[in-house]
Amino acid sequence: MQLLERYLKSLSPLLPAEQREDILRELSEDIQSEMDDKQSELGRPPTEDEQYEILKRRGNPLEVAAGYTSNRGTLAFGRQWIGPVLFPFYVRVLTFNLGLTFLIVGAVFAALSLAGQQVHFADLFSSVILQLFIQLSAVTLIFALVERHLSRHPHHWNPEKFKVELQVRIKKDIHQKIHKKIREVPRFESFSILVASTVALLWMQSLWSHPFLIFGPAASLIQLAPIWHRIYMPTVAVILAAMLRAAINLVRPDWIRFRDVAALVLDAASLAIIYALIFGGTWVVPATADSTVAIHAAQAVNQWIPYGLWIAAVISLAQAIKNLLRLYYNWRWELSSK
Amino acid sequence: MTHSSDSPSLFENLRLELRRGSLVLAVLAALRKEQYGYTLRKALADLGMAIDEGTLYPLLRRLESQGLLLSEWREEEKRNKRFYKLSPAGEQVLGQLLAEWKSIDSSLTEIVKG
Repeated sequence: MQLLERYLKSLSPLLPAEQREDILRELSEDIQSEMDDKQSELGRPPTEDEQYEILKRRGNPLEVAAGYTSNRGTLAFGRQWIGPVLFPFYVRVLTFNLGLTFLIVGAVFAALSLAGQQVHFADLFSSVILQLFIQLSAVTLIFALVERHLSRHPHHWNPEKFKVELQVRIKKDIHQKIHKKIREVPRFESFSILVASTVALLWMQSLWSHPFLIFGPAASLIQLAPIWHRIYMPTVAVILAAMLRAAINLVRPDWIRFRDVAALVLDAASLAIIYALIFGGTWVVPATADSTVAIHAAQAVNQWIPYGLWIAAVISLAQAIKNLLRLYYNWRWELSSK
Repeated sequence: MTHSSDSPSLFENLRLELRRGSLVLAVLAALRKEQYGYTLRKALADLGMAIDEGTLYPLLRRLESQGLLLSEWREEEKRNKRFYKLSPAGEQVLGQLLAEWKSIDSSLTEIVKG
């Protein structure tokens, strides 16, 4: 039943957590019943090939899991742009990107407001709507392209691949690894990183020509200080490296140690960038040097930015420690499987 | 732009749409007798209402969460299986749906007769 276990394992991370165990038990029972029927029909246990056929007929684990998600939404304008399989991931990526962007916009407006600058609700609203439009367009476009690809190749999932992997594994060390669990980087984790990073890159690129994207209407008063120009290229390099890492793990989800080590290197690079920012001293400058309102606004924002940077540093450090522990536990697990 | 009314994919889509609407009724009616998922699927297929497991199990969960079905895990033939049966609320809804279905059936028969 090794093949059945692998099928259920590939399905498991895609199922809603609160029902996962129950669904897997029921599906496992259903597949076993079908295999039993096949055995009665043939008068012998089904061969591996026949078992693969049974699993293949059930379809791609992504499609099977989509049937159980409560979020069965789709995005359609005339024709369907994003189907029920991808929709939960689309919502997840969009929520993360929009949450982060709104946090930044909110922090800028809060700083201005706390410093006594007049902040109109209409300004905040228009800034939020613009962000919503940009992020929504970029993320929707990427997911729509993936959906188009999936609908053109609906049976991309191939249990035959399982068979080859399994045979290689058995040949390699049948006595050692056959009963061990197989750890993999979830493909949707890698995919989500690729999409979120692409949008982040586009957003960062647009910031220079459209400071309105981050400052909203306050862009007429303040602009980014030179420190942001200095950290721009290293930040782009870190994002590109994260995308490369995700792309590699998309193809090779079994490269766990690569993921763990790369994540630590990227954490260290991110911390170095935040360190450079914290000690940058000035983060925004007045857009017009002779305007007292602009000078006051820049002072206000500069007063509050360090708090945000320290929070970012603490979060990044916690993430780095978490990744370090993950590297250690995976290394221990690998040793124990040998 | 022209549309071919005898396009196989168009017919298939319409056929699936038509059958999809009847699935709830078929599942509820079949579960007047307690069954587990696999036997239910086979029973429906034998009676000409084939339903794939990717549709059946999520549907069973949805009907249970709506209070129309009851389920319990029980051992049979040395394996744990989840048995489903119609709840009292399900019986009531099934009666109403059957009446509705009969009404649709007689209306359609009249319409088709012209």
